[in-house]
Amino acid sequence: MASTAASRAAAGATKVVKPIFSRDLDEAKRRVRELYRAWYREVPNTVSTFQLDITARQGRDKVREMFDKNKHVTDPRVIDMLVIKGKMELQETIHVWKQKTHMMRYFHETEAPRPADFLSKFYHGHDP
Amino acid sequence: MASRVLAQCVRSLARPSGRLSAGHLAVRAAVAPASATHRPFSFVSSNQRTRWLEQTRISSVGVLCRQYGDLPPLTLETIKDRVMYVLKLYDKINPEKLQTSSHFMKDLGLDSLDQVEIIMAMEDEFGFEIPDAEAEKLMSPEEIVQYIADKKDVYE
Repeated sequence: MASTAASRAAAGATKVVKPIFSRDLDEAKRRVRELYRAWYREVPNTVSTFQLDITARQGRDKVREMFDKNKHVTDPRVIDMLVIKGKMELQETIHVWKQKTHMMRYFHETEAPRPADFLSKFYHGHDP
Repeated sequence: MASRVLAQCVRSLARPSGRLSAGHLAVRAAVAPASATHRPFSFVSSNQRTRWLEQTRISSVGVLCRQYGDLPPLTLETIKDRVMYVLKLYDKINPEKLQTSSHFMKDLGLDSLDQVEIIMAMEDEFGFEIPDAEAEKLMSPEEIVQYIADKKDVYE
């Protein structure tokens, strides 16, 4: 029973799946870098087109933050899916299909931060 | 010597109109004895102001040099200076620890996205695109300088 479980785990680890765009991790990382370049170059144009009240540096930091959120992903298909979503966002930003409110949503300005330490959670209450 | 001078004058004739009369003057000056070639050249060039003349006029009159529509030529030293200047301006790099051979990831502790930003800054500085397949291999200022020198045909 343990041997069949081990063999099944080994078979699952080496399962070959159909790739979305890139065949291995290097190619997926290359796509990520291309997307980062496009976003990096786009940020100053975005800030001036939408007349946002942020500096270009803040915008670029936010782009870096969004990329760093998914830094831990290793599966090429997941990376490809995230790159595709990023490209869709970039297209909507470049063509000004979005509006100022959509761009500022990345900055979470109007959301209250969730309580992190014990006392804040205690004051906030316990709503099951 | 005279044949070379004659060849250069013929090249000046090949240039477009507006300078044909001065070109004839140069041909006539070149036919004159070789010892007097320097003075007619400087006389002609102050009227003509063609670039190849400045280049042939070895070292005598450097003040009248003009370069039309082109940047000063790149040398390995200037490339290195510019690369180091741009890197020192980057806020994630400590300027004291930066050297030509310092690796971005191992020595300076940068990210792969930081390296992408650095390569983009180099693209903006030198004015030509660096494709990502080659950009991901450039991991130190030394390699960047060598790559730019390869692309721009700069050699010692």
